[in-house]
Amino acid sequence: MNKLKFDSGSYRDPAGSVFFENKKVYRNITNFGSKKYEFIKESGLLEESIKQGFVIDTKEVNDQNLKNQLPDSKYIIEHKKIDYISYPYEWCFYQLKDAAIHHLDFQIFLLKNNAILEDCSAYNIQFIESKPIFIDVLSINKYHEGMYWNGHKQFCENFLNPLLLSSKKNIFFNNWFKGNLEGIFTSDLNSVLSLKDKFSLNVFLQVYLLDKLENRIIQNPKKTASKLKKIKPFPKNSYMSLLVQLKKMIGKLFPYKQKTVWDTYSSNNTYNKEETSFKIQVVKKFIQENSFNTIADMGCNDGLYSFESLKSGCENVIGFDFDLNSVNRAYLKAKENNSSFLPLYLDAVNPSSNLGWNENERASFKKRINFDGMIALAFEHHLTIAKNIPLDQTLEWLTSLAPKGLIEFVPKEDETIQRMIALKGDIFPNYSEDKFKQLLEKKAKIVKIQNISSTKRKMYEYSRD
Amino acid sequence: MYLIIFITSFFSILTVEAHAYLDPGTGSIILQALIGFIAAAGTAVSLYWQKLKLFFKKFSKKKGE
Repeated sequence: MNKLKFDSGSYRDPAGSVFFENKKVYRNITNFGSKKYEFIKESGLLEESIKQGFVIDTKEVNDQNLKNQLPDSKYIIEHKKIDYISYPYEWCFYQLKDAAIHHLDFQIFLLKNNAILEDCSAYNIQFIESKPIFIDVLSINKYHEGMYWNGHKQFCENFLNPLLLSSKKNIFFNNWFKGNLEGIFTSDLNSVLSLKDKFSLNVFLQVYLLDKLENRIIQNPKKTASKLKKIKPFPKNSYMSLLVQLKKMIGKLFPYKQKTVWDTYSSNNTYNKEETSFKIQVVKKFIQENSFNTIADMGCNDGLYSFESLKSGCENVIGFDFDLNSVNRAYLKAKENNSSFLPLYLDAVNPSSNLGWNENERASFKKRINFDGMIALAFEHHLTIAKNIPLDQTLEWLTSLAPKGLIEFVPKEDETIQRMIALKGDIFPNYSEDKFKQLLEKKAKIVKIQNISSTKRKMYEYSRD
Repeated sequence: MYLIIFITSFFSILTVEAHAYLDPGTGSIILQALIGFIAAAGTAVSLYWQKLKLFFKKFSKKKGE
């Protein structure tokens, strides 16, 4: 009998947990959670939620072998497998905004059908073909007249506050969110927002007032507890209008306008159109010659080569970039084309690590690697030269991402490298193409080397097979 | 705006002390009750306002006849 592998992040809900078996994703529903599941199944809500694109494809399975291994489980359901799991701290502004609106739309739909979401975790949203999708079906429960929205605080911390922080204060939420997996605390945001920001009624209510109420409660816990007992039921139309108001509020939030280094990279980079079209041809050929399911595009910028890879037959592309404005642009382009391109924020010298409870709740970047191909165009020098990562370590890391890949080598005399070392000087005596080639050969087989027109930049194709 | 100023001055006299064992969602529940109350009061006021407006309209029409 196989020991089932449970998702280490799926431990909070006693109603059930996610587990994996034979490359499939399942969720067990315990006796404790069975009533909840029976409600969403028998009311037709689950089916309708899937049909309307709110919830990931899910079906009940009757696998005796699995049931034998899960004696406390009444039901087992199977979810459609998501190609790459991403976390809110890896999303750009527009991804978090779309996830928030999806969450609210789903809650509005549920409330109309006398149901609610028990929690509002942003981790319950994933992206498939640039569209947000809700994955935690056991969060759905029956609505009872007079109920309050218990997930409101979590919604603010996971969605609203990070968006406000970026939109009002030009502080990207990602590193803050990664440091506190619960999101951005309302008290922290309230300290950062200016008086002018709080003059908006919504910000005043959802941030300032909420923070003050929380402080007041901390000061008078006994008084609050007795007040809570006498609290009046919350009318359904007030519940609905709270959801609608938040949706309107979030719909009007946009990233703070300011250009970052890479914002105009595609148009301002140092190579000409001829070189770009040559690079596109090399990428296309590489993709066509290999039938890749998922490739990683390291330093994807706005996704030029990712889109070409998809056009050439690759099923999915996960793009990574350090610059959040580029990720925003890449995501908007992907969304426009319903494309299977998922651009994400990644600082290669400080990637997402294993985080959360027992350092195992949210998996690191390395742990989630499932790429069968990799392209790293004009990328290695940003690690080796700009960040002083030794060349052999850069190549070790890059080749570990996928068994096959394309790496562009940028010579020292290149304009971009000259700019990078203008102040710190040439402290890279061992950086040369010969060394690059020699080190790459130690990690993998060099399949092909191609010159990129007039410059001394070269495309190296490797294979670890 | 007066509402904002009133609530701001009311809460700004409070100081913060982080202790006590309470469900962390309590503040949000009280906020919802408050928003619900404000919305209900607003609806009631607007309902009476409409009635009042209607009454004066009828009154002025009768006077005009």
